[in-house]
Amino acid sequence: MKYNQLNYFSVLVCLLLVTIGNTQADIPVVDDPVGPVILLGSEADYPPYCSLDEAGQPTGFSVELFAAVADAANLELEIKIGPWLALKEYLAKGIVDALPIVAKTPEREIRYDFTIPYLQLQTAIFVRKGTNDIHTLDDLKEKEILVMKGDINEELAMQLELSNFVSTTTTFDEAFLKLAAGEADAVIAHRIIGLQIIDRLGLKGIAMLDGKLIQTRHEFCFAVTKGNDALLASLNEGLAIVMADGTYSEIYKKWFGPVIKEELSRADILRIALWLFLPLGAILSFFWIIALRREVKRRTRHLNEEIEEHKQTWEELQTQQVQLKRREAQIHLLLNSTAEGIYGIDREGNCTFINKSALEVLGFEDRSQVIGKNMHQLIHHTKPDGSPYGAGECEIHRAFRTGEGMHNDDDVLWRADGTSFPAEYYSYPIRENDETTGVVVTFWNITEQKKAKEELLRLKRNLEIEVAQRTAELEEKVRKLDKSQQAMLYMVEDLNEVTAKMKEERRKLELSNQELDAFTYSVSHDLRAPLRAINGYSDFLLKDYGDKLDEEGKRFLDVIRNNATKMDRLITDMLNLSRISRAEMRMTTVDLGRVAETIFREVATEEEQSHFEFEMEPLPAAFCDYALIKQVWINLISNALKYSGKSAVKKIQIGSRAEENELVFFVKDFGAGFNPKYKDKLFGVFQRLHRDDEFKGTGVGLAIVQRIIHRHGGRVWAEAELDQGATFYFSLLKN
Amino acid sequence: MEHLTEVEILIVEDNPHDAEMALRALKENKLTNKVLVVHDGEEALDFVFARGAFADRPKTSRPKIILLDLKLPKVDGLEVLEEIKSNPVTKVIPVIMLTSSKEESDLVKSYELGVNSYIVKPVDFDKFVDAIRELGFYWLLLNQQKI
Repeated sequence: MKYNQLNYFSVLVCLLLVTIGNTQADIPVVDDPVGPVILLGSEADYPPYCSLDEAGQPTGFSVELFAAVADAANLELEIKIGPWLALKEYLAKGIVDALPIVAKTPEREIRYDFTIPYLQLQTAIFVRKGTNDIHTLDDLKEKEILVMKGDINEELAMQLELSNFVSTTTTFDEAFLKLAAGEADAVIAHRIIGLQIIDRLGLKGIAMLDGKLIQTRHEFCFAVTKGNDALLASLNEGLAIVMADGTYSEIYKKWFGPVIKEELSRADILRIALWLFLPLGAILSFFWIIALRREVKRRTRHLNEEIEEHKQTWEELQTQQVQLKRREAQIHLLLNSTAEGIYGIDREGNCTFINKSALEVLGFEDRSQVIGKNMHQLIHHTKPDGSPYGAGECEIHRAFRTGEGMHNDDDVLWRADGTSFPAEYYSYPIRENDETTGVVVTFWNITEQKKAKEELLRLKRNLEIEVAQRTAELEEKVRKLDKSQQAMLYMVEDLNEVTAKMKEERRKLELSNQELDAFTYSVSHDLRAPLRAINGYSDFLLKDYGDKLDEEGKRFLDVIRNNATKMDRLITDMLNLSRISRAEMRMTTVDLGRVAETIFREVATEEEQSHFEFEMEPLPAAFCDYALIKQVWINLISNALKYSGKSAVKKIQIGSRAEENELVFFVKDFGAGFNPKYKDKLFGVFQRLHRDDEFKGTGVGLAIVQRIIHRHGGRVWAEAELDQGATFYFSLLKN
Repeated sequence: MEHLTEVEILIVEDNPHDAEMALRALKENKLTNKVLVVHDGEEALDFVFARGAFADRPKTSRPKIILLDLKLPKVDGLEVLEEIKSNPVTKVIPVIMLTSSKEESDLVKSYELGVNSYIVKPVDFDKFVDAIRELGFYWLLLNQQKI
């Protein structure tokens, strides 16, 4: 900023000096000895402004002037050589910073920024000597005209529509040589350039037409990349300096002196000087005043902005300070209201702050007892086991070494009175600019927690012991159970054996049953056939030959027939007994009273029913086989009827009683009865206690009753006295 | 063999005495139709189906009733019954089973095979005569009606 101020100041001074014609003005020296490096783009073949010398170094009026300007403006300079068309593009893109000579036109001002003009060139028309048919610009219309491509005069030719046949060359030399060779009718170029080339190439046959045909003058400036204001300002400043200190004149003389001298009169020179310098000075002054005004405005704006910024900054600082104070108060409150002890130490381990809780827990009365003291020596001097700390052993200081927070819950801190307490603490480093400048320690007394933890541990131990005991007991029980299970397994094996044996027995039984079936079948067929024959043929004998037999003979035949019939009955009963033993049982709940009553009605003849008193108590239902139990009633009621036939008392009583596990039923009569000493023989097959002529019978009826009741899991028995009637009992299981 | 075409009652009975008694019982019931007694199951089937020893007998002539003993040599009474009752032509012949007992399995089997009735041969001959009478289809044999 200061640098620029100085520059502007100096430019202003220079301009004033130029205006009053004083060439002896002092040039203020800039502070910075080395300025920024400028990359200048220059052409190789635009003499006398830009070209190369014999050593290949860039040279020419504009190059030299630019070098002088750069030197005056304290700019380092590098030069890049390239063709004009390429350089224009480089400048537009900022690949080069400046070009030394560019004609200023409104079109170009859009793409580049221009310094003040340092040269005015008049455009001229060059023709071969002897050309005399060009008097006005219109005469050029049908002429073949050459211009250098990219030259301002190319643009001019286009703007003015000088000719219908305008061709371009890449260099001026080429254009003039082609003109000399008759390949074109005219060349449009700046006057000085044309003269210079004619002179250099010795083209005697080329002449310049009257300068009044084209009045166009071009102002030439240094061009910089659009927007590079700093460089533009520096170059303008430099230009002002070289113009003021005569360097410009020297360089001008060096490059243009001879040519102009030869071609121009003194008056022309004066005219040119007037043409050139007076307007130049005026333009320079004008521009610089505008520039200065603009700069002053800009500065003022900048200064105002800065003042505003400072004001804001100051206000922000004020606000921040208030906030800081408030936050400090908050932190202070926070620190002193927490139950945890908090203190900070600096790099040396000395206390920088300590909160109220810490003081209380540690047993200090005042901060002054702690602040600035070495906290390790004050409260952490001895290990829990009573031994002193070695160097670098302090856990709290570890945060210094590692730069990271650490935690410890198995340590002790020491109170002011020399006692200790178990403590848990966190130690966090305070970091400023990647450097640990202190440590904040947060701690609390964990005596209670320790106690609780120890109590928990004790409980856990007890629990473990108990668990172990219980486990042992359980294992013992499991062992016993295993034993029992083993025993059970043996039992099951035994049971399986028994079952297998039983199955075998059952199979055998089934076989015997089948044999019995076969036997029964055989008996029923084979035994009966002879009986039928005996009986049948006795019958035929009696019927066919009865008249030839006396009474005794007939009686014998009756005896034969009666015995045959009796034997048939015996066989029938025996088969019945066998069938009852083998019949499949179908257990249902049976109303025994109803069955008994029905049987009495069926079995007793009408005569018996009229003579007999039939007394029956209500009987319970029982779970049994209906067909078989019906047979029991048939046999018992038939017996009662049969054996009461000859008695005075004709009465049958039926009743029951419930005992613990069974229901007992009875049939009581008042008939013949029997001698109780034979009661065991009653239920045997074919066993009879009465003669057949007293009471008919086969001795199978009671055997059948016993067989049926036994199959139901019940019992049968009888009570009687001879001639006093008998009571027959049978029992059935409950449910 | 001409008389065989006139057989109206076929008695299948291996015991000659039982056969004789059966004939007598029929006679006492005034059933004097032509009766043939055969002594085993094979013979009975040969007669019914006109084959073997009875091959010359006209097939169209059939007994009006068959009294069939259950227990027979060679071919059992149940087998004879089955063969007669499974043939569509012969199954219409009424078959009365003669048996010594009420052995359930035999009777159940007989009814399954399509027996028409049965008589338990009683020891008392008079009861046999009664049983024949009570069968209830002797009218068939009396009035000579074709089935």
